[in-house]
Amino acid sequence: MELLRPDSPEAAAAALGNGSVALAGGTEVVPLLRDGILHADRLVEVREVLPRGVEGTAVGAATTLAELEVDPGIPQALREACALAASPQLRSMGTIGGNLLQATRCWYWRLKFPCYLHGGEECHAKAGQHREHAIFGNERCASAHPSDPAAALVALGARIRTSARELAVADLYRLPTDDNREVTTLEPGELILELDVPSPEASVYLKAMDRRKYSFALVGVAAARFADRVRLGLAGVAPVPWALDSADALEAATPLPGTAYKVDIARALIRRAVEAVGAADAAAT
Amino acid sequence: MVELRVNGSVYRIDTPVGRTLAEALRLDLGLTGTKVACGEGHCGACTVQLDGVPVLACITLAHTVGDREVTTIEGLREHPLVEAFVEADATQCGFCTPGQIVSAAALLESSPSPDSEAIRHAMAGNLCRCGTYPKIERAIHAVAGREKGG
Amino acid sequence: MARLIRTEKEVEGRYTEQWVVVEEDALEQWPEGPLHTVGRPAPRVDGLARARGEARYTQDLRLPGMLRTAVLRSPHARARVKRIDLGPAREAPGVRGVIGPGDLETLTNEPNYEGQAVAAVAADTIEDARAAVGLIGVEWEVLDPLLDAHVALERESFVAEPRRYERGDVEQGFAEADAVVEAEYRTQSVLHNALETHQTACEWEGDTLVVYTSTQFLWGVRDEVAAEFELPKDKVRVICRFMGGGFGAKGSAGDYTFIAAELARVTGRPVHCRLDRREENVNSGNRNPTIQKLRLGARADGTLTAIAGEYLCLLGWDGWLSPTAGPAQMLYACDNVATVEYGVRLNAPPMDAFRAPGFVEGTFGLECALDELAAKLDLDPLELRRRNHADHDPMDERPFSGKQLMECYRRAEKAWARRDEVRARSEGPWRRGVGIATQLWYGGGGPPSYAWVRLSGDGLITVVTAMQDIGTGTRTAMAQIAAEELGVPLERVTVELGDTAHGPYAVVSGGSSTTPSMGPAVRAAAADVARQIREISAQRFHVEERVLSLSDGRIVSADGGSWPLEEITGLLEDGQILGTGARGPNPAGMRVMTYGIQVAEVAVDVETGEVVVERIYAVHDIGRVINPLGAESQIEGGIIQAIGHSLSEQRLLDPRTGAVLTRTLDAYKLPTIADVPEIVSELIDVPDAHLTNLGSKGLGEPPIIPTAAAIANAIRDATGADVRSLPITRDELLQALREAARRERKLEQVGAPSA
Repeated sequence: MELLRPDSPEAAAAALGNGSVALAGGTEVVPLLRDGILHADRLVEVREVLPRGVEGTAVGAATTLAELEVDPGIPQALREACALAASPQLRSMGTIGGNLLQATRCWYWRLKFPCYLHGGEECHAKAGQHREHAIFGNERCASAHPSDPAAALVALGARIRTSARELAVADLYRLPTDDNREVTTLEPGELILELDVPSPEASVYLKAMDRRKYSFALVGVAAARFADRVRLGLAGVAPVPWALDSADALEAATPLPGTAYKVDIARALIRRAVEAVGAADAAAT
Repeated sequence: MVELRVNGSVYRIDTPVGRTLAEALRLDLGLTGTKVACGEGHCGACTVQLDGVPVLACITLAHTVGDREVTTIEGLREHPLVEAFVEADATQCGFCTPGQIVSAAALLESSPSPDSEAIRHAMAGNLCRCGTYPKIERAIHAVAGREKGG
Repeated sequence: MARLIRTEKEVEGRYTEQWVVVEEDALEQWPEGPLHTVGRPAPRVDGLARARGEARYTQDLRLPGMLRTAVLRSPHARARVKRIDLGPAREAPGVRGVIGPGDLETLTNEPNYEGQAVAAVAADTIEDARAAVGLIGVEWEVLDPLLDAHVALERESFVAEPRRYERGDVEQGFAEADAVVEAEYRTQSVLHNALETHQTACEWEGDTLVVYTSTQFLWGVRDEVAAEFELPKDKVRVICRFMGGGFGAKGSAGDYTFIAAELARVTGRPVHCRLDRREENVNSGNRNPTIQKLRLGARADGTLTAIAGEYLCLLGWDGWLSPTAGPAQMLYACDNVATVEYGVRLNAPPMDAFRAPGFVEGTFGLECALDELAAKLDLDPLELRRRNHADHDPMDERPFSGKQLMECYRRAEKAWARRDEVRARSEGPWRRGVGIATQLWYGGGGPPSYAWVRLSGDGLITVVTAMQDIGTGTRTAMAQIAAEELGVPLERVTVELGDTAHGPYAVVSGGSSTTPSMGPAVRAAAADVARQIREISAQRFHVEERVLSLSDGRIVSADGGSWPLEEITGLLEDGQILGTGARGPNPAGMRVMTYGIQVAEVAVDVETGEVVVERIYAVHDIGRVINPLGAESQIEGGIIQAIGHSLSEQRLLDPRTGAVLTRTLDAYKLPTIADVPEIVSELIDVPDAHLTNLGSKGLGEPPIIPTAAAIANAIRDATGADVRSLPITRDELLQALREAARRERKLEQVGAPSA
């Protein structure tokens, strides 16, 4: 394995693909390389060349979660999502760009079962242990997306600027399909450079987990209010970050036997989040 | 070859790109105070500082450290936290202790008198199976000069 | 005088009869209460070495030329190796040795659980070793694993014969009962997760095999390795100076030790074999799951009339049946008790001892059922426990040796009295409540255990014994005991341990037996030195020996004079005074146990199922306390582990393949510092007058025992939900709340017409 140190974002993007993998904080890439889930002939170190820091509504992709959790310039939901994510060390290392691209914590996927997401025939979680798994979008793969900040950014209606295009955060994600098991739309040579995070009137992130800190979301709920409209983004409930209009949309959930409890938690957290952003009326509609 | 700045000294080592900082410290430099307990970024035993920021050496590639200064427990042996951990009985088996002290030192550097909530927030990534947590909190308070009840 | 006795030896509830030679224990116990050093808080004597990262653990060893090992482990829970080709591994870069089925008993071609060792490779680097293991060609015949407990019970798939116990007549007892509760309780499998994983480095020195290993029992490893390699026992030297936690799972040699030793033999080089975290969580043992069907009957006044329990202990492929019914048999005075314990064999990783094995699980069921009974009888749960206090061992009428449980109950009243105030702090979705649970456990230790004490011309004292300090503070406690007996400050004492070639036999660090086994031996050895100092002083200072004692670093005469210890040791120059000591026998005809009670305060978010343990009060009786600071840490550590067991930790197996899914520390959730409640602890600190020259029992295990039941009982108090299954995760709790609500509605419907 070789390490490349490009001197600009353009050079970094150009070096990607063809067995080259971008490395920023390394909190996901390094373990996945070790596990043999990710393969790389070359690592392209992008940490030094990507934009870092907050300027107005722009957030550099290399800004760490630790930097964001204390930045008064970003919406509360994103700050809280960063503060509740992972551990202090991981937040110091991990970048917001990398965080959006992290893979599921599904134990079957992580332990390399030949599951649907790995290109196999079936989702092992459905017939197996799945208490941490999805209640939406789980027809083929019941994995849950682990990113807290992604849920916040979905609720905030944030946009991403990549080396190739600009898109809504929500459009970064896709459910895996028979012909394509990827959960993001990022192309092999494409690099996330910057986020644009709108400022809502109010926003909040609430997270239910198995211990008080340092655990992936069983259910994470972000709410952001823009004028009268409240947007919701959820973590831990679907193979990708999940947008919901209101708690009523939980009626459409398709929980597995072991994940039905997540619907109850989501209902309670959505109600609390909507109340917290000061729009009890909006929630009822 | 990679050049590492560790505890004020510069080392040049010949080590493969895939080698983690934890392995480089322990195997190449013989600095075994940095412990590896999970090897995949989940437990905090391998915590070291890069320019004062706590990171996990077991999932940091040695080649990506660059010119950042690495501080390990060996560089913090005279830190008042060491004595405070012993006095408060914040070590049992001691395997997590170096990592705890490295994290705590980074906390006190950025926030000299943290309250309990701040300590818990900053120390949540350092697992201790023996359960020395109350004593760790006490040791950090002691150094911060804010031990409750004097 | 040495005496040969036939004695009962107990380790974690396993009793064996054996011959032991014991020294008559001539020393009187010290007076009750804090002394000069014993009974006073002492920071750990090895604390600095650990905190500064200087302590060398097995993992830190780098012997010259040492090879690293990777093990091929079965990816299937049940399979046969039809064909295995080790050739490609032998040819791989950096490889120095490869072993497979047939080379060692521990390497199998018929694995019966996932992770069982099949072959192993020693190579220059761990990367080379892992790569070579990947090249081993195996053709598997995959067989259906047996994973269902009830199917296994039907097929009588047992590791051990079912264990039945009966006293009185339970049916008669239930007939006499005014109230009966019957319920099924479940406890999960939990994983030890000592932060230093299981590992060994082996090196041959001539005809001696040197084994560096992370162990709780140097001598046990010595015996196992000697037997496996057909060596005289003293040709195996086992070393462990610092070890990074064990919690019960490091009591035996383990496959990694045999693999390292064999590869060291094959390659002629030192070989290190270390489990990684994932192997650790599959292969190094676990607390076995249980399914407990309990039935309790009591009269209206609370007197227990019958306890019946059926325990399915899902041991995995191997292991032993820990005393899961022990609390039901021993905790309360109840005339009619019948229990049966099944040690179910499944194609799952074998259990191993885990901090109070059996009693942790059994206490959860019993103490939850008791609270359900209290509710039914409308009795105060603390009062119900008092009324059923056992004044003697209900199993065989033996008197208990030192039992301060009633005093524990008395001291717990203050914490228990907080419940109205705690409940009143409920608000919104957060309901608060208080629960209690009682505990008993073994912890008396026993012979054989020996220590040597050496006093040098410079006045420094060294305690030498081949025991191990697994992180419980053993070095410190032993140093305190020697310092006390010799009347010197703690700083003058060093404890050398961790090497079977350096010092006499010492007990396993398990079963809460270290301090009660080793402490008396160390005191006896120190007393042997003290006696010699007095004898020499009598000659030197022309006084009678019987008037001399040692205190504050001086030789003190009852007649008034005193001399610094240096006046005697100074005469020695390079000479030394040597003392030996042995652990005396346990009191004949008595049952030695430890006791305690904990009071838990919880807050429950009934909408999201979140449980926050806000406060635990713990009071335990372990006889004399040697080091109150270390003891407090043991209590806190036990409670924090118990909080993990209660709320967040569980090993999950894939129901189809038997694979351990939660083998990494993101999926297997240990408590963090943020999960720790306020912990208030007390120790009764009254020496057990019958037990040895110390009157001390062990504290490693008692504090972990009652916590889960206290938490579950507090949750019932807060919400009305019966939580009968561990861990109490959000899904579990929301389910219990739904059932409670359903019961409530039913009651209302039933109640309405008659009202």
